[in-house]
Amino acid sequence: MNQISRRVPLVDGVAKVTGALRFTADLHVEGSLHGALVLSPRAHARVASIDATAALAVEGVHAVFWHENTPSRYYNSSIWFAGQEALADERMFPPVVRHIGDRVAAVVAETEEIARHAARLVVVEYVDLPAIFDPEAALVHAGPVMRDDGIPAFMNPVADESFTHGDLDAGFAAADLVVETHVTMPRSHHCAIEPHACIAKPEPDGRILILSPCQSVFAVQAVVVQALGVPQDQIRVVKTPIGGSFGGKAEPILDPLCAFFALALGRPVMIRYDRHETFTATRTRSSVVGRMRIALSSDGRILARDTETLVDIGAYCTGGNYLPSSMLQRLVRLYDVPAERYTGRAVYTNTVPAGAFRGYGSPQIHTIAEITLDISARRLGVDPVEMRLRNLIEPNAIEPWQGLNVGNARGRECLIRGADAFGWQGRRRADAGRGRWRRGAGVASATHINGCYPGFHEETTATLRLLPDGRAELVCALHDLGCGADTTLAQIAGETLGLRACDIAIVPADTDSCPYDLGTRASRMTYICGEAIRRAGIALAEAIRAAAVLELNTEASGLRLEAGAVRRPDGSGLALSDLAARLAARGEELPAATEIYRAQANPGSYAAHFAEVEVDRLTGRVRVTDYLAAHDVGRAINPMLVEGQIHGGIQIGIGYALYEDVAIDRVTGRMRGDSFSRYTLVNASEMPPMRVLLIEEGEPTGPFGAKAVGEIATIPVAAAVVNAVNDALGTELTDLPLVPERILAAVS
Amino acid sequence: MRMSLKVNGQAIETEISPISRLSGFLRDVLGLTGVKEGCCEGECGACTVLLDGQPVDSCLMLAFQATGREITTIEGLCGSGVNDLQQAFLKMGAVQCGYCTPGMVLAAEGLLHANPSPGEAEIRHALAGNICRCTGFETIVQAVATAAAARQGAER
Repeated sequence: MNQISRRVPLVDGVAKVTGALRFTADLHVEGSLHGALVLSPRAHARVASIDATAALAVEGVHAVFWHENTPSRYYNSSIWFAGQEALADERMFPPVVRHIGDRVAAVVAETEEIARHAARLVVVEYVDLPAIFDPEAALVHAGPVMRDDGIPAFMNPVADESFTHGDLDAGFAAADLVVETHVTMPRSHHCAIEPHACIAKPEPDGRILILSPCQSVFAVQAVVVQALGVPQDQIRVVKTPIGGSFGGKAEPILDPLCAFFALALGRPVMIRYDRHETFTATRTRSSVVGRMRIALSSDGRILARDTETLVDIGAYCTGGNYLPSSMLQRLVRLYDVPAERYTGRAVYTNTVPAGAFRGYGSPQIHTIAEITLDISARRLGVDPVEMRLRNLIEPNAIEPWQGLNVGNARGRECLIRGADAFGWQGRRRADAGRGRWRRGAGVASATHINGCYPGFHEETTATLRLLPDGRAELVCALHDLGCGADTTLAQIAGETLGLRACDIAIVPADTDSCPYDLGTRASRMTYICGEAIRRAGIALAEAIRAAAVLELNTEASGLRLEAGAVRRPDGSGLALSDLAARLAARGEELPAATEIYRAQANPGSYAAHFAEVEVDRLTGRVRVTDYLAAHDVGRAINPMLVEGQIHGGIQIGIGYALYEDVAIDRVTGRMRGDSFSRYTLVNASEMPPMRVLLIEEGEPTGPFGAKAVGEIATIPVAAAVVNAVNDALGTELTDLPLVPERILAAVS
Repeated sequence: MRMSLKVNGQAIETEISPISRLSGFLRDVLGLTGVKEGCCEGECGACTVLLDGQPVDSCLMLAFQATGREITTIEGLCGSGVNDLQQAFLKMGAVQCGYCTPGMVLAAEGLLHANPSPGEAEIRHALAGNICRCTGFETIVQAVATAAAARQGAER
């Protein structure tokens, strides 16, 4: 192996570390205008009138847009392709605003400064309407989600998913112990350090070019087309470098606006949000209330489980209707539960919309289940690791909901080897302490998916082509979100071609030049795109060998690709650049290969996380003092990047457990955590030492055995930390985040 | 108003608005887009530059406050090349999306200037004002420690 399992630095690393990489807000587009938004200060109100006179009088202002002079088409910003069925309830500028931060109007001007100044001069009259901030109360606002004439009714529930498997009553009847929990999880924010930005540029041929830091250029195109009502081929989308997303840039928010303004004014338009706008006017992780009832035998076997979730999706549907079923999909592939009932409902409230966020429901459902399991273990007097081992799903098990094979599931190895490396037994038995400081240890397991099979058309097309300089070009609509996907996938391509990762020239995702792909989401990059690229690489290698036969005067089967050359068995051969030159001289096309890969499986990635905490009973502060994460990754294509994903996942998870909450006020609907000074992020000093243990047993359907790691890295963290706090204090805390007030209330 | 200052070794004399932020001046007037803006309230550190060798949040300074001072942005750290600290960032996986990286590198340079052999806790403390959302800081701390040790070794 030349490239696989190597700690290859990022292929785009030098540009990042020197500041040379241009993010969207760094781009200078000749003649560009700038947009600034007027966001609603009201949680639910009719926009009675808008007076733009003063704003329009400001020198340098080109236009003011609001609901009366923009398309009135409803759209859903979470669609992935044209024609996807989804509840279309969002508008560029709605006549009735539905949350604080909803879009009321926009000013487009010569500079951002002028636009922002003029936006403050737009006079808006609102007529307040009753607003709902509580998801339980929202259930009362019940009815069909869509009127007969296709107008959204904003009634609840938006989704109602239920599932039953096995004999629930028998399970509960046979139980030695029944534990019931009520777990609440906050609305956390992605906090990518790059705020949202977008540029749209009219092209000479009448099309609009959108430059967007997005997770799928095709999704952006589909949403813009739906919002503007223009033909699909009028919109071209190119992905720009992305300064972190975590799901926060999965849905196009500014793109329809920029595109419409550029079309209307005939000038390029850039909008960049500031931090406050990124908090209040994009997306968050959905908050979830979970109730779980679990029936156990005295030896810790789960006999039956009954789960209810209530998901607050905020003011617009986006993809929120998928959340209850997504949570179910991930719940049923961790433990072998003989009887299971699940009811999940999603409801609108007058709050900022929820959207994709690393794990898409998985952190929520596994937090509910893993905290519940831990409380059960303590009540039963069974070791939490032992209890999980007794219930974990086995490799190649068929999960009961979709009937999917979980693949080479190695959750067991994660627990056993992780517990050993962490010194679990010793730490768990150690005394919590008596005084102000209490110590505890916690564990949590998790699983996650690999791609969208069977829910969506899960296929991708990769083309690899030999370049004249002996490198290879890769076209696969790739969207690296900063996780290093380009590097990982270039390693996979390089491995098949005897090239280095840096020899693979990756064509940026572009709706004009790339075949359709679902984009970077659902933990599908390495597993799905990687396999397509591996197959294309094998096919290109075959084509290169065939093309070299004449030059090297030998049979193709005896040739191998190695170190940028095609070689005979004796090691003599021809550099690929020389081969390319000779082919060109003969007037032959350079070898290329395209593979369409359609997924046939959706195996699980597995993990077990171990946390040690110290709790200050006086101040209520929790410090995570040590951390170990064991991950079943199949195979680490790039162990350094895999560890990096896990480190970052732990960071976001610790925040989820202890600090992060946009904290929407239940009376006013205002977001309290709407800036970095009021929304606590874990910084360098607060992070514990972290160890990562990779279980590499190989997934037969993954490229070189690899499975996904990016999303699962953050899924078990919050439960591991909460379980450690409960161990330290002897409590049964279930409301996240464990801010000092909650700790103090529990110990007083 | 007129001001003169040195940016990345170059003397600059220019007319500026008295209310312009230093970060905006560096990005918009001088085109130094390696200076990133993440929050404009001094919380994220993405806009960190060196002011006479000391790391500062350039979003919290007005441009005129830099009169007569010397500013180093990421563009001025090593020209178009990569210095040993930047190399360590790359080699240890301390870069993911790259948005916080210029500020992080400069904050670390500022630390190493003031304290050439910092312990791990000192590194973490010095970087506490720079938020990275991708890496969990682990490899960043390692990269700074590695570069510090190498520089110390080279001096001996």
